[in-house]
Amino acid sequence: MSKAYKQVPFAAIVPSPKTENEGMVTGNWRYLRPVVDKSLCTKCKTCWIFCPDACVNYSKDDGISFNLKYCKGCGLCSNVCPVGAISRQPELDFEE
Amino acid sequence: MPIKKKGTGLTAVADAWQLADIDVSASYPIRPYTAIMAELAKRIANGQMKCEMVHGEGEHAQFSIAHGASMAGARATTGTSGVGVTYAFELYSPIAGARCPIQALVGDRTLDPPGDFGSEHTDCLTLRDNGWIYGWAQDAQESLDNSLMMFRIGEDPEIMLPQIVAMDGYFVTHINQEYEMPDQEQVDKFLPPFKPQFRLDVNHPVIMGPQIEPEMGPPLEWDRNVVMQRVSEKIVTVTKEFNEIFGRNYAPFVEEYETEDADMVFLLQGAHAVTCRSAIDYLRKAGYKVGMCRLRWVRPFPDQALKEILPKFKVVGVIDTNTSYGAAGGGGVLLVETRASVSEVANKPMIQGFTSGLGGETITHEQFFKMAEMMKMTLEAGKIIQDSTWVNFNDYHEGATEVKYANQQVAYAKE
Ligand code: SF4
Ligand code: SF4
Repeated sequence: MSKAYKQVPFAAIVPSPKTENEGMVTGNWRYLRPVVDKSLCTKCKTCWIFCPDACVNYSKDDGISFNLKYCKGCGLCSNVCPVGAISRQPELDFEE
Repeated sequence: MPIKKKGTGLTAVADAWQLADIDVSASYPIRPYTAIMAELAKRIANGQMKCEMVHGEGEHAQFSIAHGASMAGARATTGTSGVGVTYAFELYSPIAGARCPIQALVGDRTLDPPGDFGSEHTDCLTLRDNGWIYGWAQDAQESLDNSLMMFRIGEDPEIMLPQIVAMDGYFVTHINQEYEMPDQEQVDKFLPPFKPQFRLDVNHPVIMGPQIEPEMGPPLEWDRNVVMQRVSEKIVTVTKEFNEIFGRNYAPFVEEYETEDADMVFLLQGAHAVTCRSAIDYLRKAGYKVGMCRLRWVRPFPDQALKEILPKFKVVGVIDTNTSYGAAGGGGVLLVETRASVSEVANKPMIQGFTSGLGGETITHEQFFKMAEMMKMTLEAGKIIQDSTWVNFNDYHEGATEVKYANQQVAYAKE
């Protein structure tokens, strides 16, 4: 079976998405993902500010969560969390 | 009406940029590029040109500024020399990949160490794998003309690739010569305004240069490969149209001099062609059936043209004014690529490598005579006796007397 390449527009120039760009999701190459321990989190939003891919979501009731479709697993969020609430865990430990 | 001017290769390109009505030019000083930056600044200050000039804090920034300006829809230029070319290296692929047709002038210069200011093509040839269109001008006139031709080719909606107007530092960038500056009407007829299909525009936001998935990479690379091949066709049509409008007589890829009945030819690029032609005049008088093939472009490499032209000769002496330490065949970039071009052609000539004119040295008549004699010995022996000769350093190990003989013969013809 031939490999499924994805045809890309001219010079990969795509309309700027308002929220998420479904065409540009992270592939299967992330090997560590961030996991938050909500009992430690102070909701300071430092991780939300620092994430270079805008994958940290914040809501008043739920606190923080990660949009793993775009998370690169770079670990910036866990590095900047002042209380050590975010850990990085191997992708293969998760089902989905 | 076109006017005759006295100027350098750099003022000639400044003229081309003025006539092309560039919008943005990004600068950072480095010899011998610096003089064009000064020339542009002067023209902008005295109202001759309307252009935004932005100074970078180095060449990396300089090329980034031009990249951004081009993305915003500007006809943008920049330029550099020597280690400046290599300092900006990270930008070459993104600019070509984003299909931003910026134009850079490179006044070629030796790479360090330890800060040799001499002319040499090594700087520019290090970036030949990045998807830029480029070639060498032999004099001020060709610098101006190549600049206009490259805007036209690079900005063609079917191409959209950046270009480098390369010229030998000092020999072309700084020596005053007479050249013709075309008039605005001619240029307007030849070069339409730059109207990219996509540009950064707050009202129609797009992402340029996004992070992509691995499955998207190969098709993009393929596009770039295909378009590079299409550039060759454009060079043919654009050169023809250029010649008609401006009354010049450029060959699209390879200028031939005295090749009609030649057994042997020098193959080179850039300003040393000027000396080469006059050396050939003397060599001809002394009975050497020698000619010259001068490459006008290096990317795309004039593969097909060389396949058609070179089998007419028996010996081709490729003169590299660059180094690629440890390259196949022991010569420079031109030797490797020329051999690759004709490797599968029937009746291919013997291709003999020479390295000369490094570090700003002129290639003298005597050196051309010496190379001609070595080619003649190859011709008579039916095989290359010594390849990849660094002229003036490694002596020809057989027949040193014959080499001297050529010098005497030609000296006699000169009188
Ligand atoms: S790991 Fe990196 S990309 Fe993922 S949420 Fe944290 S900061 Fe963002
Ligand atoms: S940085 Fe740490 S404490 Fe602050 S919101 Fe993020 S997870 Fe919670």
